[in-house]
Amino acid sequence: MSDEKEMVGYRQQPGKLPFSRPGSGGKDQFSDLRDEDLIPESQGGKQHQKWGKHRHDELVTSAAIGKRTPLIDGKWKVTGQAKYGDDIRLANELVGKILRSPHHFARIKSIDTSAAEALDGVVAIATGADATAKFGVLPVTKDEHALAVNLVRHVGDLVACVAAENEATALQALQLIEVDYEVLESIHDMKEGLEDSETPIHDRGKYHIGEANIQKRVFQEFGEVTTMEEKAVASHKSNWTFGGVNHGFTEPHAVTANWDPRGRLTIYTPQQVPHYLHRSLADVLDVPMHQINVYRTFVGGGFGGKSDPFPHEMCAAILARKSGRPVRITFDREEVFLTNRGRHPSKIEMNLHADSEGRLCGVATDALIDGGSFASFGHVTTYYNGVLHTAPYEIGGFHYTGARVWTNKPASGAMRGHGAVNSRCAVEVGIDDLSSQLGVDPMTFRLANLLPPLSATITGFRITSTGMRECLEKVREASGWDEKFRNLPLGHGIGVGCGFFISGSGLPIHWDPNKYPHATVHLKIDMDGGVTIHTGAADIGQGSDTVVAQSVAEVLGLPLDMIRVRSQESDTSPVDLGSYSSRVTFMNANAAISAAMKIREELLAATTEITGADGARLVIGDRRIYDKKDPAVGISYLEALHKALEDRGALVASGAYRTPPMGRAHKGAAAGLAPAYSFSAYVAEVKVDVETGQTKVLNVWAAHDCGKALNPLSVEGQIIGSCHMGMGQVLSEEMSYTRSGHLMNPNLLEYKIPSIHEMPNVVPIIVESNDPEGPFGAKEAGEGPLLPMLPAVCNAVYDAIGVRVDELPLTPDRMHKNIEKLCKEQGVDDPLNLTPPALDYSPLQEILAKRADSHEQRDIERRNSDEIEPYHNGALFGYDATIPADEQSDQWAVSVTPTQEYLDNPRLAGSAWKHVERRHRGDS
Amino acid sequence: MRTPPYTLHSPDSLDSAFDIAHSLLEAGEEFDWIAGGTDLLPNYKWHINTKKHVISLANVTELHTLSNTHIGAMVRLHDLSESKVTHPLIRKAAASVASVLIRRSATVGGNICLDTRCFWYNQSEEWRNSIDWCHKCDCGTGADCRVIANQNELCVATYQADLAPSLMCLDATIHLASPQGKREMALADFFSLDGITRNLLCPGELITHLSLPENTGDFNGDYLKLAQRESWDFPEAGIAAAWKIDGESISELRIASTGLESIPRLHCEETNAALSDWNGEESVNSLAESVRKAIKPVNNTHFKPNYRRKMVRVLTQRCLKPLKDF
Repeated sequence: MSDEKEMVGYRQQPGKLPFSRPGSGGKDQFSDLRDEDLIPESQGGKQHQKWGKHRHDELVTSAAIGKRTPLIDGKWKVTGQAKYGDDIRLANELVGKILRSPHHFARIKSIDTSAAEALDGVVAIATGADATAKFGVLPVTKDEHALAVNLVRHVGDLVACVAAENEATALQALQLIEVDYEVLESIHDMKEGLEDSETPIHDRGKYHIGEANIQKRVFQEFGEVTTMEEKAVASHKSNWTFGGVNHGFTEPHAVTANWDPRGRLTIYTPQQVPHYLHRSLADVLDVPMHQINVYRTFVGGGFGGKSDPFPHEMCAAILARKSGRPVRITFDREEVFLTNRGRHPSKIEMNLHADSEGRLCGVATDALIDGGSFASFGHVTTYYNGVLHTAPYEIGGFHYTGARVWTNKPASGAMRGHGAVNSRCAVEVGIDDLSSQLGVDPMTFRLANLLPPLSATITGFRITSTGMRECLEKVREASGWDEKFRNLPLGHGIGVGCGFFISGSGLPIHWDPNKYPHATVHLKIDMDGGVTIHTGAADIGQGSDTVVAQSVAEVLGLPLDMIRVRSQESDTSPVDLGSYSSRVTFMNANAAISAAMKIREELLAATTEITGADGARLVIGDRRIYDKKDPAVGISYLEALHKALEDRGALVASGAYRTPPMGRAHKGAAAGLAPAYSFSAYVAEVKVDVETGQTKVLNVWAAHDCGKALNPLSVEGQIIGSCHMGMGQVLSEEMSYTRSGHLMNPNLLEYKIPSIHEMPNVVPIIVESNDPEGPFGAKEAGEGPLLPMLPAVCNAVYDAIGVRVDELPLTPDRMHKNIEKLCKEQGVDDPLNLTPPALDYSPLQEILAKRADSHEQRDIERRNSDEIEPYHNGALFGYDATIPADEQSDQWAVSVTPTQEYLDNPRLAGSAWKHVERRHRGDS
Repeated sequence: MRTPPYTLHSPDSLDSAFDIAHSLLEAGEEFDWIAGGTDLLPNYKWHINTKKHVISLANVTELHTLSNTHIGAMVRLHDLSESKVTHPLIRKAAASVASVLIRRSATVGGNICLDTRCFWYNQSEEWRNSIDWCHKCDCGTGADCRVIANQNELCVATYQADLAPSLMCLDATIHLASPQGKREMALADFFSLDGITRNLLCPGELITHLSLPENTGDFNGDYLKLAQRESWDFPEAGIAAAWKIDGESISELRIASTGLESIPRLHCEETNAALSDWNGEESVNSLAESVRKAIKPVNNTHFKPNYRRKMVRVLTQRCLKPLKDF
């Protein structure tokens, strides 16, 4: 109805006066039909479904999914209107500053704040005594305080904080706080953490492991572990040292806390995981959760570095409560490094064994990881260093020992590719070595040892979809692998590496997954036709707001500008676990689809009511609902909506996602479980200056299986960004410590993040394996793409000059040392006379190539068949694929505790098991 | 991070700058000159050797002159690197400094006077407190050097500026001025071996410009720097070489280094010895080796000293590559 007919100035009589419709989408009520090119074949469209049909096919409206979509919050960012942590300004606010420990490890004997309190302009001061409750991101390892209670555990640990009228006064006040310390003996070498200590950095009570600084230890054995070496015809062994790396996000941490007149706290902070902060704040401040509103600001990069609840967030809240005024704390870069939570420095021993048939008959890994001074996510990291390399290959035996120790350094934590990156690098470099030893192409070796889709790994993880094979094949072709590998001149090389990562952690940390869902999304549609999405998923720049908007837009056939996302406040958002473990697209979009389907049902019912059309034949196009067999029969979205709104007002719907039951029963079986896994394969081409040791990555062909690219633009962005971040870790980034244990480079000049000059040409290749449970088939693309970068570069370096890397980052000085060593081995004086490695194919190459071909057929059949038999790891080794191998053979053991025999001669991290927990000792 | 409060003076001529300097010195006040500020301000933010007064030279137009033989102290590195009249060797060195953003502010004088660097020193105040300070910025504690332990006589912080070696190779003269008058000297003589003293500037004195001989255009040369990244990073080692070819032979050859010791160094002894009996590639290699031997870096920058030292040889060889045919 047009506006001219609207009558004004009369008393409105229901039913008699025409009302203008609140509308959207312009005047065109009959907009485009669905684009058949984007509709799957199973729904009568033209989109070729080479990976089979998907449960969400009937929801495809061609409105949003699969289109290159600029992020919906992008314009705020590029016009400078996005409010990040430090952009929050509240009236009458104070500036908070933190006094940090100058000692690695010390007991606080006394703190005298009187002089600071007397300083004009100082409004509040807090110390550890103000909040003694412990917190931590994992409920099992709460070991942090807002401010140090009794002990400071690293240089930079928080001791006291001040709120003052301005920054200068706050800084001056810090200098007036007198702290009397008793300095304790600190440890910095992670190996020392395995030994008993007089004063362990933390006391775990009866669960304390020996008297050592071991925070977590893991022992796992699957498959034929005792015979893996005997059966091997080729074995690889390496001892890796990985430097610790920091996320290097752009925005330093910043937080503002404000208690409103009703006594409720609002905390503004760039958090990846607002919900855990919410819980921790309640614990530390001793107020109920409903009295706290966590407001997530725009997040200037997270990468795992903003996913812990942080002490400074508690400090701001404590100071704000004490002062009665808003308090803002903004970090400088040094404080970011002192807060850290970056990737663990690690020592990893990697053993790989291949048998005469070119099968990976054994993987034995020992990972010692340096946790720094707090637990953070470390419990999980310790598992991930092992379990996340049990795929994509079918393996005959898996032995893993892992330990995480406390040292007096800033805490390590979760960082993009959490726990999987370092050991993945070691595995993939090992496979390259095995392939050389066997005389086969490493591509072929990998292709002949892949797990099929809809299978289970040796540890019992459920592989639903996998595009690993396609990833490998695509990078092989795109990179010109067959011509280049082992054929390039000295100093010029090419290498391949693969990746495997969880798409969402299978278990919510804080509750039983059988009781509560992982993610919940609420939708609200009112007369204007626009859809408001309420979600707690934290957009940290990865585009989660856009993905959830796209998902809803797709189901309802609406343009993206009709969707608005409210995801920032815990007051208005349903609980979401947060942006970690690459869970958001998979879980939150699935929840959003469920909610949108409920709205869709109502719209279809309303359409049936008006048109009398058969509901089963109705489809949604662009703002129009119509009979797919007779498109002339149909009504506009608004007409259907207004019909549905009759009697009810706004339409609301809630959708949730929970993971299906999965996993096995052994201790630690939950670690690494995910509803789906992503796969990737990269080929890197490098040039190494053999005289200076400088390595330049020229090209990266990067294939990633993300299930379905809901937004190809952001998937490519994630791939390219991952290449940059991975390249930093492999070539230049490292948190270095002085001989006195001080962090040498807590700034972005000396912490060497690659610049644009170092950036290679990246060719992102998206592989879509159409995951059966993912939203429209999607899986993650945020973390997995990082993993293959490291080994691809390391293997390319080997191809270039024959140096087998085992220490990262591969800075020019380290590389130069390696080259000098190689010169000695080869007996040449001038590195320019080195001979790069060559490859002579053995007869095994042919056998593996054939096996790869037959496996390819197997995989295609499995993913297109409606009736699929189970496939358990072990089938390649002659076991019945339909039953887990350990149920068929006594030789296939599952064990999570070491035998005495192992303890007599343990590996490095494995030696953590020599200690006995206090509760099992008589002396506790 | 905040700079401590200071008073900024902005004179618009050299004379008034000296007037301000003079009166501050008379009053017993310390001050720093500030040109582009890209070195000074980060140090101030870290509370490193800050002063209560800072005199800006931004408006002193006398210092901005740039010609083929005259480089004003306030010439921006970006302008120098883009200048058509400047010797290509100097342009290359200027273009290798930090990043384009920094080069837009940073000046020639500031680069020549760059404070020496050390990872025990270029840190925040809290950081330096946690190591009990160091000799270069001891905050009155008489702290020892953290690089060479148990001494507080010599500072071994590293001179990591890119411009000096190229200018030294082209025989640049540095011109200084102060309220007391003007003086000049070969740039190679301007530096003094201590990470704290650094150079011969007296309190109140500043660089007005550098001058180059008229025949600079007869020289060819190269500057190569070792750094982790192509942008931003200071040289971990930098080698400049310049030579003049007369007919079939090398008539002059100079090599200078930076990023390795507390001062940049001109390696006359080594080059003269090599030049006296030049024999193509062999000479290039032995000269490179002797330059390597002459240099003794310490462990206070990103790369380890033994690697930096080895790279001196490689960089020198590469700089001298065109001389292999003589």
